[in-house]
Amino acid sequence: MKIAVRVNLHSVELEARAYETLLTALRGAGFRSVRLTCGIGVCGACTVLIDGEPISSCLVLAPAASGADITTTESLPDDDPVGVAFQEVSAFQCGYCTPGFVLTTRALLSENPNPSDDEIRHALAGNLCRCGSYTKIAEAVRLAAESMRG
Amino acid sequence: MTLDPRITGRIEYGQDQRMDGMLHARILRSPHAHANVLSINTSGVPSGVVTLTRDDVADLEPLYGPMVKDQPIVARDRVLHVGDAVAAVAARTLREAEEALELIEVEYAELPGVFDPVEAADGAAPRLHEGIEFPADLRPDGHNVCHRFRLKSGLGNDGFAAADVVIQDSFAIAGAAHVPMEPHATLAYWEGGRLHLITGTQTPFNVRRDMAALFRIPEEMIRVVVAPMGGSFGAKTFMRLEPITAALARKARRPVRAVLSRAEEFITVNRHPAQFRMRLGANRDGTFVAKSVDAWWDTGAYADCGPSVCTKGGYAAVGPYRIPHVTVDSRCVYTNMPPAGAFRGYAATQGVWASERMTDLMAERLGIDPLELRLRNLLREGDRFATGEVMHDVRFAECLRSAADAVEWGEGRKNKGLAVMLKGMQTPSRTGVALEIDAGGHVVLRSATTDMGQRPGTAQRNLASRALGLSPELITVGPNDTDLVPFDTRTTSSRSTFMMSNAIREAAHDLRQKIAERFEVAPEDLVLSDEGVGVAGSPDLIRPFADLAGLRGDGTFVTPGGLDPDTGQGIASSHWHQAAASAEVSVDPQTGVTTITRLHTAVYAGNVVDRAGAELQNEGSTIFGIGTALFEGIVFEGGQVTNGNLSDYEIPSMLDVPEFTYDLLEGGEHSHGLGEMAVPVVPAAIGNAVAAAGHPVRNLPMSAESVLGAQ
Amino acid sequence: MEEPEWHSPAAIEEAVALKARLGDAAAVVAGGTFTGILVANGLIRPTAFIHLGRVPGLDRIEIGDELRLGAMVTHRRVERSSEIRQSPWGCVAECFAQVASPRIRNQATVGGVLCDADYASDPPTLLVALGARVRLRSPSGEREVLVADFIKDHYETALRADELLLEVVVPRPPLRVTYLKFKSRSSEDRPCVGVAVAADMDREGRCGSLRVVVGAVSGRPQEFPDVCAIALGHRITLDVATEIGRRYSELASTLSDVRGSAAYRSRLIAVLVRRSLEPLAA
Repeated sequence: MKIAVRVNLHSVELEARAYETLLTALRGAGFRSVRLTCGIGVCGACTVLIDGEPISSCLVLAPAASGADITTTESLPDDDPVGVAFQEVSAFQCGYCTPGFVLTTRALLSENPNPSDDEIRHALAGNLCRCGSYTKIAEAVRLAAESMRG
Repeated sequence: MTLDPRITGRIEYGQDQRMDGMLHARILRSPHAHANVLSINTSGVPSGVVTLTRDDVADLEPLYGPMVKDQPIVARDRVLHVGDAVAAVAARTLREAEEALELIEVEYAELPGVFDPVEAADGAAPRLHEGIEFPADLRPDGHNVCHRFRLKSGLGNDGFAAADVVIQDSFAIAGAAHVPMEPHATLAYWEGGRLHLITGTQTPFNVRRDMAALFRIPEEMIRVVVAPMGGSFGAKTFMRLEPITAALARKARRPVRAVLSRAEEFITVNRHPAQFRMRLGANRDGTFVAKSVDAWWDTGAYADCGPSVCTKGGYAAVGPYRIPHVTVDSRCVYTNMPPAGAFRGYAATQGVWASERMTDLMAERLGIDPLELRLRNLLREGDRFATGEVMHDVRFAECLRSAADAVEWGEGRKNKGLAVMLKGMQTPSRTGVALEIDAGGHVVLRSATTDMGQRPGTAQRNLASRALGLSPELITVGPNDTDLVPFDTRTTSSRSTFMMSNAIREAAHDLRQKIAERFEVAPEDLVLSDEGVGVAGSPDLIRPFADLAGLRGDGTFVTPGGLDPDTGQGIASSHWHQAAASAEVSVDPQTGVTTITRLHTAVYAGNVVDRAGAELQNEGSTIFGIGTALFEGIVFEGGQVTNGNLSDYEIPSMLDVPEFTYDLLEGGEHSHGLGEMAVPVVPAAIGNAVAAAGHPVRNLPMSAESVLGAQ
Repeated sequence: MEEPEWHSPAAIEEAVALKARLGDAAAVVAGGTFTGILVANGLIRPTAFIHLGRVPGLDRIEIGDELRLGAMVTHRRVERSSEIRQSPWGCVAECFAQVASPRIRNQATVGGVLCDADYASDPPTLLVALGARVRLRSPSGEREVLVADFIKDHYETALRADELLLEVVVPRPPLRVTYLKFKSRSSEDRPCVGVAVAADMDREGRCGSLRVVVGAVSGRPQEFPDVCAIALGHRITLDVATEIGRRYSELASTLSDVRGSAAYRSRLIAVLVRRSLEPLAA
């Protein structure tokens, strides 16, 4: 079936079966920043923002996303403060989990522009990084928050 | 500044590689741990789907393996582990492939299985392999032990007679999963008789060599292109999906891509479960006199690199100590478990756990401070290790002191633990690198070092930049394609920065020679700068690099060595990894939950060429070690994985990681690998801390329940 | 797999009628987290989906004599609702806030977590302790069932084939309510043991009512009112707390899983029930 959504502010028609997930549909449409690792919603590699809120796209049955306003990191401009912070701190290794962290960070800072270290860790604890970049990721979030607060 | 494609998500990993007309592969796997395959019927599979069974590969070599050729592409007459490949399909879509699998009928006759290496090593256990040809440097026992590494120094076990105190204990380490965020992925296609593999692998030249042998074609007929990997940690080594995808592509006459599911990741290759029995003898003043290590490594149904794991783990379990009389008997054993292979920390994790727990048990027995006991016995410059090799560039004591200071050991050792280790680096090995000037005037670095997240490009460019005296911006790293890069043993055992730094230096030297020849001057008169090539004393004569397009310098660095498998004597490692860790914990005595309150690692890094990369590697290893220490263990029941998903098998999250500190000991002329160093010492230090808190643990992982039960 | 039907009803009546017609052949999709896992991993193959996302009136939060949470209210809305947090039902917001990760909480619903009846969950344990009820509707009418009776066993509820869960109703809680989520491994783990305590004390500190519910240790939350009765009319001392814990440990049936063995859970019930009651002794 065809499912009409908006991805990164553009209208997109996703192609999926009723039992397929939004993750499968998005990757099929070329959005490969959204990835499968666990398939059960615990790792965050498939994170997308829907109406600005982080969601595990591996748990959304594609038709349920009809009409959704979806954000992925393909839309990130080179001067995006979160992206720039991750780059400056070198807050990534293999990069597979990075889009998920970037989106989760953006959602956190939209809601809480001055998060404490504890709030950062609680907001990001649901995103797993096997390479173990957590220390630098937390640093990048603090740096992004600072630069966004101007 | 453009954002790195890893941040925007535009980087393409192995699983993203695609070609027109590509088919998707799925593998039919045995539900039984040990069974005869009586029949395979693929007649129900639709005609548009390509199937692969034993008949389709009867013209190839029957078996493959990096050290022992014991694994078939798909089962011949027997399956040896739950998940063993029985057949495979390739279809236009993944869904069609999955549906086709369900239409294949296989008849099995179950056989008794063995799931413990000590049991399997016993002559009474069912024999799992017949007719295997073992290479001359291995010591199989004719039954389920595929390799036995033995070491004897001094008087061996007779040395215990001289010790005032002898203690004995046993330790067990569970199997673990690598959990790369990206699963295994390989794309294969044949063109003009050549096999092309675009694959996530740490070992392109091993793959090329072994695939050539398997398919009975010359190595030149195989091209391996390394795709960026979303993590590997040892999982994506040697032959994984390459044989099956190549065989499917050959039959289909179309490109075939295979990507594993998360559940399949748990039955493809794991960390060796291991058991140790140790004896340690010392004098009352704490001087070590004798040590014996008996180890059993569960290598599963196929040996993979198990023989090397059992060797390295065998000597890592001796520890970085002066011990006159050492005996090691380390066995790599076949069982009906999924295969075990390379894993971050490579056998040192298991060996160091056993050894450092043992050291603390001796400290307790003697009533000596565990730090003092270690310092008294640590290897020093010029000492011989149990393998007979002389140790140089020794920094063990420095690492250990840094660790001890970080937890204020001198103020009191309640709830604190220490660990110090030596870990070998793949020896012998060889690395080739080329530096080639291209038409644009850039220096292209050609190297087979693979990127699994450690992003070696930065270090490579920095090394080349230093060696040539040019800015890193002038250096680009060429594609990792075996048609284009010189031979490199593989990207494992944290060898690459060390090996590359030497090979790059040689290549730079060779390039200077070639440039000098072109200019007909002596190499020492050449002046290389970002503007180009000049000659000393003639500042106006600068030729741009573009004029020298095509000139290429080659460098090779070889580390010879190896150990006699019967005596354990020789050169285990051309270069030793040295590290220590300290931990302070708080254990809830009623629930057994362990909270890490302080954690520190001290690692000998040498000459750091990529600061951010070095930090990321050490931080990543430390976090890996926390998972190993506290929660990671595959739970098997009758060879079946029962926790094969990321809710039941947990890796550390950001909240599981306490604030931790580390010391990268610098200095010296060499760059040492950092990819694994914290992994073995972190669990050992935490274990010693948990023991100091009153819970004498002996097994990994230290689950809350096991901590409560530790007597 | 045959292409299943996807239904997105626009009204409660339509949804109920669909459920009645399709029965257990249909999978109801609320937040979709649980259904998503089951379907994506091939564990269920329903011939139809009934998606509740467009049904109006299922996502209301009403605070009055009782707290009413519509079936489609997400965990995240409960967590973030300042109304709920500042009300006597603040403990409910705190409990829902502990479930999984923000992503899951953005998607998973109040109705969904009860209909899933997954034993390793947090909200059911607290809702049982608060005497919460579910409101169910079928073509023949409505009924209310206590959450304690609604969840019967692993993935088994009292929901009939022709019923939909519309709302969760939580009576006014007593003064002292806590929910303790014990995790034995990662901070991201599901509960190994969950303990909910709901108690009323008079001015002299004597216990007027006490409910203690343990969850995540077997197929359904468990409570032993006869054991809690020993506290009634008395001050809850450390001895009383210990005794209640000990008896719960003996009486509760426990299971073994990756988070702990049955024996470990039994042992921990004694410890955690006591720890949950200790603040009431102060």
